[in-house]
Amino acid sequence: MKLNFRTLGLCFAAAALLAACSEPPEIAAKVAKRPDVAPYMGANNGFMTKNWIPGNQASWAESIDKRTQGQNEYSRVK
Amino acid sequence: MARMKFICDTERCIECNGCVTACKNENEVPWGVNRRRVVTVNDGIIGQEKSVSVACMHCSDAPCMAVCPVDCFYRTDEGVVLHDKDICIGCGYCSFACPFGAPQFLSKGAFGSRSKMDKCTFCSGGPEENGSVAEFEKYGRNRLAEGKLPLCAEMCSTKALIGGDSDIISGIFNQRVSLREKNGKYAGSKAFGWTTAYGGPDAPAPTPTPAAKIPGAK
Repeated sequence: MKLNFRTLGLCFAAAALLAACSEPPEIAAKVAKRPDVAPYMGANNGFMTKNWIPGNQASWAESIDKRTQGQNEYSRVK
Repeated sequence: MARMKFICDTERCIECNGCVTACKNENEVPWGVNRRRVVTVNDGIIGQEKSVSVACMHCSDAPCMAVCPVDCFYRTDEGVVLHDKDICIGCGYCSFACPFGAPQFLSKGAFGSRSKMDKCTFCSGGPEENGSVAEFEKYGRNRLAEGKLPLCAEMCSTKALIGGDSDIISGIFNQRVSLREKNGKYAGSKAFGWTTAYGGPDAPAPTPTPAAKIPGAK
């Protein structure tokens, strides 16, 4: 019985010492990049312009191109 | 697919800082961070003082993307360079790599500890849901997903700063410079940065899209 206690104690001591060997790595796990949703899918708010259809890439591109060209005074004035 | 870019016409910029104010207000950029700023050279020299509005230029071969140790940058199909703030560690490598000083860091505390990087997003948010509160709080407004262009360009009173599809805006700029040259006021092909950006005087000039050819335009 006395021997068993000693064995048990040694087992605990060994477990405590070996715990250092199971130290988790200190390098942070690499966070995966999240995919971004394309702008032509539209925004989930009430500020969207009305002249294109959310989800339709061609209509979004047409709307944006028109807006971009709107920065040209020469095409607006003529 | 559009390739989104900014151009600032130094002949038109009057250093009003409207673009800076528009950006700060639209994206609720915190005190101490300027996603856009106006740089003036030859201050006070009549005829030689030039101002240019500078922010992230959304480089086609972005050095910030190349040096980021945690690879937090990505480029959208529209050519906009964005980053994920959940991955950014605020190391500052991108700010050393960027030739325009675009990456910004909010200083916190007395010992200069830095926040995560913040920069111009071409008003197109980040990886959060388009138009969501989470996206707004981290990256600002997502105007592209609302069918709009960046507010700095849309607010510019002299239309010195224009933004959008590179083919269209380079056409607009080309038209301006050609008209200046035609009017004898400015040597168009010798405009600052012209040959670097668009080739020499012999290079064929891009033609701006006439409004009549754009469906719905007046």
